[in-house]
Amino acid sequence: MLFIIEDTINGILMGSIYGLAAMGLTLIFGVLKVINFAHGSMLMVGMYTAYWAVMLTGLHPYLTLIAVVPVMFVFGYLLQDILIKPIFKSEKDVREPITVIIVTTGVWYILDNLSLLVFGPQYRNIQDNPLRGKMLEFGDMMVSVPKLWGFCAAIVTALLIYLFLQRTRMGRAVRATSLDRDAASLQGINQYKMYNISVGIGTAAAGVAGVALVPFYNVFPSVGVLFDIKCFIIVVLGGLGSIWGALLGGIIVGVIESVGPQFMAATWTEAVVYALFLLFLFFKPSGLFGVKYDW
Amino acid sequence: MKILELKKVRKFFGGVKAVESFSLDVGEGEIVGLIGPNGAGKSTLFNCVAGVFPPTTGEILFQGTKINNQKPWDLCRKGLARTFQIVKPFASRTVLYNVMVGAFAVTDKRAEAEQRALEVLRQLHLEGKKDLRAGNLTIADRKCLEIARALATRPKLLLLDEVMAGLRPTEVDEMVAIIKRLREGGMTIFVIEHIMRAIMALSDRVAVLHFGTKIAEGTPQEIAHDERVIKAYLGEDYGAA
Amino acid sequence: MNPSLARKLPLVLVAVGAFALPLVLRSPTYLHILILLYLYAYLTTSWNLVGGFAGVLPLGHAAFVGIGAYTSTVLSLQYGISPWIGMLVGALLSAIVGVIIGLPTFKMRGAYFALATIAFAEGIRVMVENIDYLGPLQLNGPRGLQIPPLKLGFLNFMFADKEPYYYIILVMLTGVIALTWFVSRSKLGYYLVAGGEEPEAAQALGVNVARAKLIAMAMSSFLTAFAGTFWAQFTLYIHPKSVMSLDISFEIAFIALIGGRGSIAGPLLGALLLRPVGDFSRIYFGSTLPGLHLIIFGVVLILVMLYQPRGLQEPLTRLYNGAIARLAGKREAAA
Repeated sequence: MLFIIEDTINGILMGSIYGLAAMGLTLIFGVLKVINFAHGSMLMVGMYTAYWAVMLTGLHPYLTLIAVVPVMFVFGYLLQDILIKPIFKSEKDVREPITVIIVTTGVWYILDNLSLLVFGPQYRNIQDNPLRGKMLEFGDMMVSVPKLWGFCAAIVTALLIYLFLQRTRMGRAVRATSLDRDAASLQGINQYKMYNISVGIGTAAAGVAGVALVPFYNVFPSVGVLFDIKCFIIVVLGGLGSIWGALLGGIIVGVIESVGPQFMAATWTEAVVYALFLLFLFFKPSGLFGVKYDW
Repeated sequence: MKILELKKVRKFFGGVKAVESFSLDVGEGEIVGLIGPNGAGKSTLFNCVAGVFPPTTGEILFQGTKINNQKPWDLCRKGLARTFQIVKPFASRTVLYNVMVGAFAVTDKRAEAEQRALEVLRQLHLEGKKDLRAGNLTIADRKCLEIARALATRPKLLLLDEVMAGLRPTEVDEMVAIIKRLREGGMTIFVIEHIMRAIMALSDRVAVLHFGTKIAEGTPQEIAHDERVIKAYLGEDYGAA
Repeated sequence: MNPSLARKLPLVLVAVGAFALPLVLRSPTYLHILILLYLYAYLTTSWNLVGGFAGVLPLGHAAFVGIGAYTSTVLSLQYGISPWIGMLVGALLSAIVGVIIGLPTFKMRGAYFALATIAFAEGIRVMVENIDYLGPLQLNGPRGLQIPPLKLGFLNFMFADKEPYYYIILVMLTGVIALTWFVSRSKLGYYLVAGGEEPEAAQALGVNVARAKLIAMAMSSFLTAFAGTFWAQFTLYIHPKSVMSLDISFEIAFIALIGGRGSIAGPLLGALLLRPVGDFSRIYFGSTLPGLHLIIFGVVLILVMLYQPRGLQEPLTRLYNGAIARLAGKREAAA
């Protein structure tokens, strides 16, 4: 019985990190109404950035946030500005800019293979970092310390994004653009700038997730693919556009992955997650907290 | 025989009332007009009839059968066709291709669909433009194409949503003539319109919608002199049209 | 000569040439390269049925390749059933899976469908990679299945030389091109185009858009599975990374997109242009710069999407038609 509680707690913690990774994706969708298929690759870039920052400077992994967050923000901002904005402009009247999906898939592919080329396929991890393998003891239960920090990071990031959107002037502008881009631009809001900022924030959030993962998770070129798919599933479960939904969706997945192996082989827990995904697609596509869009 | 019957139709979007207890009958071979200020609920009503969404309460009967929850494509097969206020041509394809899509509603064979499409285009004097790219047509021709496509499905009831919008006065007169010819051929037509001279010239009867409620119904002449209608909006527009 | 005939004549000559080629070209290496080229052209053209005509973006088609490959292989290795029959069974299975993925997602935004195809393709691959036995069926996880070249002959879909494989894939390719041509001229084709361009208008004209897309999806996944069986019988060794990987799914989609989805020539041209690029970079840079050709594909894809969203077939077709017109014009002037 104790194992299940321990597993559940660790599942919640790991799940919150998944949610943190998915937060950016859901934000980008909420504002741009477009899914950034390269999100997982952005996470991968964040992880490599954090990794190299630690290897080259010997900094504590969490201090690399100082470098990772701005770098990722700029990266996302530029990606949107240079590659995606022209398509938005040329496909203004098209109901769904599928071309954007194609382009972000292209970016995904380029980033993944570029990092394979540059960094090589080997799995890397930071061997002697102060957090590796650290556990907190609660009676007979062991809770992973880096995952606990990850959980805190997830909550803090979610709160920061939430406060930004609700309390700041720019955040309100972003929300206005997401509700009605034409009305917002009539009010003097530069919708393309809002898109850039949203993608920047979403990518920066992925960067935070990367930093949270680096102390205990292996870094390798296709780590993005794994997370990309998980993020997609989470974002569907939680509801496209909802930050808290992403967090909750991530926790659900994390708990299933953690507690599942107690009852069935690890492969089948994957299957459970996919089955849940299918069920939601069939019966509740707008997710737990999603807004109903005109499908 | 009544082609279309709307019985106490109400449509709510969440808490917002779009249409309140609307009743109307359209008999075979009639042209019935629906007018009202912008936002009165006209397009919402059309969408309920056309199957885009069901009414919240009330009944809609087409040829005597209840059609409340049916889908647009099934309704089209049953003989209910509609056009859209903002025209939606299949822009990258030719005019003929566009109309053939409609024609396939009555046949499975390509040759027959092409025949039917050409027939309809001839009816609307568009056959000279059959190989032009739909996206390159003038707005008047696009409106004609919209009607041609709907006609190709061999409907018994045609719903026209503001076909005159954006047309010049001469084009309006041409369109009125086309619609009158359709009725002479036996078509029943339900029209939403803003352009007063078109509605007055075309309709056998007119219903007036204001904030989702029917405030008057009668012949065009009766409506033009109805105090409530004039008060609601006709006063400003009538002079202009 | 009438212009339409003038445009079609060179294509007919190319087709005849392709069928006659093995009579002159004996080198197994070159035949092998051509076989793979035709295979990818087949895959992209099948993909096009749903990715081009239906206007949605399937990014997990390798799953169907895998289902086809594994079904026919398991059935022939464990139960001695002819791969041809296994091919049909695999195709049916793929069609069912395709419909399951499409049913909920075709009614929604395109992104959901694309997402679902990736998720399922990867899900199926991970599953197959991690289990050795699915009930009574032996799948062997990551080690994959080897087909011993024991029984040769047509019935067993196994040949010692390359020529029979060449002809089989060429026939398959011709078949799928012909099918695409027929569909584009049929009611289904018109409905798919209409539903892709203006779904609301199409629905008002009697088009059940979701159902048309499902039919296209079933056809596409059915045909794609055939390629899986072919691949299994040609290479005699299948494992999840070789038949089900995301790389394959993306390569198929990218080639079709770069060539021009929605047209018949697009996927073919894409395969013709890009496969050699891929092969070249794999051969010469494979060890030093792995994945280079994939980066090239990605960059080309983005450039094409930004500047020629209808694909390279648009300018290329124009060039071709222009060249033919000039040639035909010269001949008429001379005569």
